[in-house]
Amino acid sequence: MEFNQSHVAPLIDDEFQGQASKRVLSYIQGKRRQGMPVAGLYCVYAPMELIRAAGVVPAGLCSFANKTIPPAEAVLPANLCPLIKSSYGFIVTDSCPFFALADVVIAETTCDGKKKMFELITGYKPLFVMDLPQLPDQEEACRNWTAMIRNLGGFLEKTFERRISEARLEEEIQATNVKNNLMNRLFGYAAATPPVLSWNEAYELGLLAQAASTEDLQPVLEHALETLEQRKVSGVHYGKPRAPRVLVTGCPLGGDSLKAYRIIEEAGGVIVALDACTGMKPFKHFIEEGSGDPLAALAAYYLKIPCSCMTPNQKRLDDLDALIERFRPDAVVDVVLHACHAYNVESYKIMNHLKERHRLPLLKIETDYSNGDVEQIRTRVEALFDSLDR
Amino acid sequence: MTAARGIGLDIGSRTVKCLVWGHGRILSARKEINTHDPLAVCADMLAEAGHGLTIATGYGRRLLSGYHGCETVSEIKAFARGTKALQPSCRTVLDIGGQDTKGIALGERGAIEKFQMNDKCAAGTGRFLEIMATALGLSLDDFIREAGSAEQAEAINSMCTVFAESEVISMISRGLPRSAIALGIHQAVARRAVSLLEQVGIREPIVFAGGVALNPCLAREIEKQLGKPLVIPGDPQMVGALGCALLAAEKS
Ligand code: SF4
Ligand code: SF4
Repeated sequence: MEFNQSHVAPLIDDEFQGQASKRVLSYIQGKRRQGMPVAGLYCVYAPMELIRAAGVVPAGLCSFANKTIPPAEAVLPANLCPLIKSSYGFIVTDSCPFFALADVVIAETTCDGKKKMFELITGYKPLFVMDLPQLPDQEEACRNWTAMIRNLGGFLEKTFERRISEARLEEEIQATNVKNNLMNRLFGYAAATPPVLSWNEAYELGLLAQAASTEDLQPVLEHALETLEQRKVSGVHYGKPRAPRVLVTGCPLGGDSLKAYRIIEEAGGVIVALDACTGMKPFKHFIEEGSGDPLAALAAYYLKIPCSCMTPNQKRLDDLDALIERFRPDAVVDVVLHACHAYNVESYKIMNHLKERHRLPLLKIETDYSNGDVEQIRTRVEALFDSLDR
Repeated sequence: MTAARGIGLDIGSRTVKCLVWGHGRILSARKEINTHDPLAVCADMLAEAGHGLTIATGYGRRLLSGYHGCETVSEIKAFARGTKALQPSCRTVLDIGGQDTKGIALGERGAIEKFQMNDKCAAGTGRFLEIMATALGLSLDDFIREAGSAEQAEAINSMCTVFAESEVISMISRGLPRSAIALGIHQAVARRAVSLLEQVGIREPIVFAGGVALNPCLAREIEKQLGKPLVIPGDPQMVGALGCALLAAEKS
């Protein structure tokens, strides 16, 4: 799938075209050279504002390659989520450049597989595990998560011998709000019919925005916004005008599992919303500013992330409602990684909700990082589009 | 029904089916065992089929995409269209082929409402039944006959082809009657088919298509578990090819 005009200017105008991870790596290396320590992260529950207020650069760790799975399976069971196996494989084969740069690793007790995998990597780098509450709607959840964030602050202060001031935290909170506002405006161009922003661009922007500070990012995002506006004015759009619009929800996708997006496109669909932690999800909400208790404000913000490890996770349905209203998909594809029980079980609730509330069909795809199931997935996606009454 | 001419090709994992539609009826239908060179098989069939738009489905469909203006559709669409022609009131389709199983819910006017597929492993497919027959030392026909004559069934617990095979072998070595094991295997496959149908919702009439629909013992077991009758088309293997031929004729 492509734009309707040739020579469409890229959104991020740099030397890393088609190399989104290299762009992020180069950014983090630059910060490292300026003397900033690096914290490796596995999940979007890690409180970025606290990490940044400590003068530490966050770095998402590699977890999306099939090639590191065989070495991981020497230790881990084959019947485990590929994201966890791949992450572990990257560490034991010493092939994740972000991990190599990291001074510490911050992890959360999200799903069982990850939690137990963390126990196996404790020897490599100082690891700080945060106990994530899983009933986020209960009053204690916010208190406990605030305490965990405070403990992480203590760990960072001690490890890197510095103080995290409340004023710095407040600045970072405001910075995130600025960033999320810009990101949401960018994603709005995918909501156009036909979209002006491609899924790959949305994905790459998300990847960069998780690593980079708002200060560094703001000019890049503003430039991207101008570019998108120019596209709109000159009638540039992505994909066929009448292509079925697809919202993709589910497990985080990247690297080898991006095949799911590609297959949807090859089957004739156009992806308008990426409801994943490696997509639009981390930028959806805003943090309360000037609350007087920045740690509690952060805790409340992070507990809004609708991960399937939460129960009952009504927020996922609420967020989906908002996404559907904004991006107006014709169909929803739920991508579930093999052995991810949380997302897999939740898929049933999502399916019923979409059917009853929005009369939208849901296709669940269970997949891993291999290429063995591409044709099967293709058959399902084509059948999904065949079944759309358009 | 349309009078225009259309050619349908269903390139499955085990067999290739070709059907020519014209003058409002089936002009010809042909079935061949798939070889390691499916393209050659298809080329031969298409040469015989003559002129007309060709629409292909099945796992091999992409082989043909672009070949002499050939178009492709998903198997779900092909089976939905073929079933609608054979049984216009059909609301649920079960298709068990050589390598996969599908359940399709159809709307009142034949539109696809929902579908489920099991195609990642051989469990519950024609291939599974063949492997189990071999494990019992029987031809496929004898295997079906034995199962049909059994008075009671030995339950099979494993649906993974590899595990089920060792389960069967250990049952044989315990001296259990082969007919009872054969029936147990049929019941297990029927259970899987029923659970697939439950996922799409079961509404009558239910059409059972695909090569495995030719297995009367399995059809009976599925009917027993569903508590509902199945409608089996005269040539259940041709439903996909018929659907494609009709879609092609409608496009011409
Ligand atoms: S899906 Fe859940 S566990 Fe995975 S990154 Fe997102 S929030 Fe974290
Ligand atoms: S995809 Fe599921 S199983 Fe895998 S790490 Fe995320 S939550 Fe855990």
